[in-house]
Amino acid sequence: MHIKKSSKVLMALGMALFLAACGNSSSDATGSSLTEGEFDLTQPIHVISREDGSGTRGAFTEITKVLEKDADGNEIDATYMEAAIQNSTDGVMTSVAGDATSIGYISLGSVNDTIKALKIEGVHPTPETIKDNSYAIARPFNLVYKDKLSKEAQDFWDFIFSQQGQEMVVKEGYIEADDQAVIYTASENLDGKVSIVGSTSVTSVMEVLAEEYQALNPNVTIDITSNGSSAGITAATDGTADIGMASRELKEEEKEVLTVSVLAMDGIAVIVNKENTTDELTMEQVKAIFTGEQLIWQE
Amino acid sequence: MKIKKLDSFMQGVFLISALISVMAIILIGIFVFGGGIPFIAEYGLSNFLLGEKWTPSNTPAAFGILPMIIGSVTVTLGAIVIGVPVGVLTAVFMAEFCPTKLYKVLKPAVNLMAAIPSIVYGFFALQLIVPFMRRLFGGTGMNMLTVILLLGIMILPTIIGMSESAIRAVPKSYYSGSLALGASHERSIMKVSLPAAKSGVLSSVILGIGRAIGETMAVVLVAGNQPRIPDSLTQGVRTLTTNIVLEMSYATGQHREALIATAVVLFGFILVINGIFLLIKRKEAIR
Repeated sequence: MHIKKSSKVLMALGMALFLAACGNSSSDATGSSLTEGEFDLTQPIHVISREDGSGTRGAFTEITKVLEKDADGNEIDATYMEAAIQNSTDGVMTSVAGDATSIGYISLGSVNDTIKALKIEGVHPTPETIKDNSYAIARPFNLVYKDKLSKEAQDFWDFIFSQQGQEMVVKEGYIEADDQAVIYTASENLDGKVSIVGSTSVTSVMEVLAEEYQALNPNVTIDITSNGSSAGITAATDGTADIGMASRELKEEEKEVLTVSVLAMDGIAVIVNKENTTDELTMEQVKAIFTGEQLIWQE
Repeated sequence: MKIKKLDSFMQGVFLISALISVMAIILIGIFVFGGGIPFIAEYGLSNFLLGEKWTPSNTPAAFGILPMIIGSVTVTLGAIVIGVPVGVLTAVFMAEFCPTKLYKVLKPAVNLMAAIPSIVYGFFALQLIVPFMRRLFGGTGMNMLTVILLLGIMILPTIIGMSESAIRAVPKSYYSGSLALGASHERSIMKVSLPAAKSGVLSSVILGIGRAIGETMAVVLVAGNQPRIPDSLTQGVRTLTTNIVLEMSYATGQHREALIATAVVLFGFILVINGIFLLIKRKEAIR
């Protein structure tokens, strides 16, 4: 009986402690989000990056020169070692939205109002600025094929670059490559299979296109494999796929053997927390931040 | 005659069922080792295990997994430091002190803890532990302490469940003998019953280690995932498992092989842990 009592007292004590801890943390949370006045620019920057091998990281490091190349053809990805790594666009956005002093980068199509996209070199990332090349961090979504397309693949290709196809690209949040495209009309009864291989970033828009196309041509099967830009280019080169998808620029030797067409443009937005008062960065600053040379906010 | 036929038929069914799981483990072994060993042979075992640089997108690329090995071992040890005392004491409480009414709540609660998907633990840590750590130590709040705390909680059900049944399996005569010699209830339990359940408790700790070192989805959300050797507990960390899951989706060629080779190392760790587990079990059986 005695023991029972003491254990109950212990339980109650534990509960009280637990509740007290909860109370503390919640009051602190409201305290920090209600700091009045200016955002403290002397705070350290928390850099958030994507994982090695990601198409977004590849394009971002290349455009911002975080990926350093020397004369011998060696490439060094100088992304700051202390940068936290998230392996999805959502992960980067959640981290940035939850941490006032962090910075990350995501595809422009994914930007929403939980975070703030910065101006780069004074230019705000919008479809217009990417189309006229004034926004610096943009990458093409390329489609490639070798020699000649089969009849079915050619028809799908025509659909992608038709007015309907390009409209769907815009609806998915990307910037169309060609705004004077012709209207596609489903031709004779096609029957066959088209295989498409490549970048995971391009896959999402490609799936929408394929679905729409199959509604028009029910006898054509479109088979999409999503395994990365390089794999897509390899598959198109050795003929295992009809069309390859790549979310990066093609290398010179790849351009020699493949026919390339830009499906869409995608901007990469540099994002910060909404509390951050910084509005704009230069390309040098972006590079300095992501290589760990600039560690605190304050320009 | 008919019954005999049915008998041998069912025997076959049981045999096949048993073979399926054995086949699965053999196939996994063949795939993992077959995919990883050639890479290790080509890259060099010591370069791979002791290399401090993991930079797959550089040319030439470096694939050193020492930071991840250190990360995995450290967070696992940390999780044990937090999880074992709490877990074992909870098990003692549940087996010997717990009022029946409370036990009816506590036992299902612990079982539920084991059933919660690990990604849910990850979100819990991301929402609660990460902001707490950020206020405490600054930084992103994604650091080793966060992971240790999270894993410490996640291994609790394993440790509690096994330790409790081990304590319950101790013959009641040990306890009543101790009481008869004049020891109090607490003293009898802590000095007689618990030591008698030692090997069962130890097994639970080892399974806890296995769970901690293999945990992936929860850890990847809150670890920070920097591929370098951490200097302190308040720095981010990348473990073997998160290294694989982070980069597998885009990796090609040598990078992909390096990740499979990481899985070989992880597999090695698990084999060692399970080997120790078996040894303890066998010792117990002999006794």
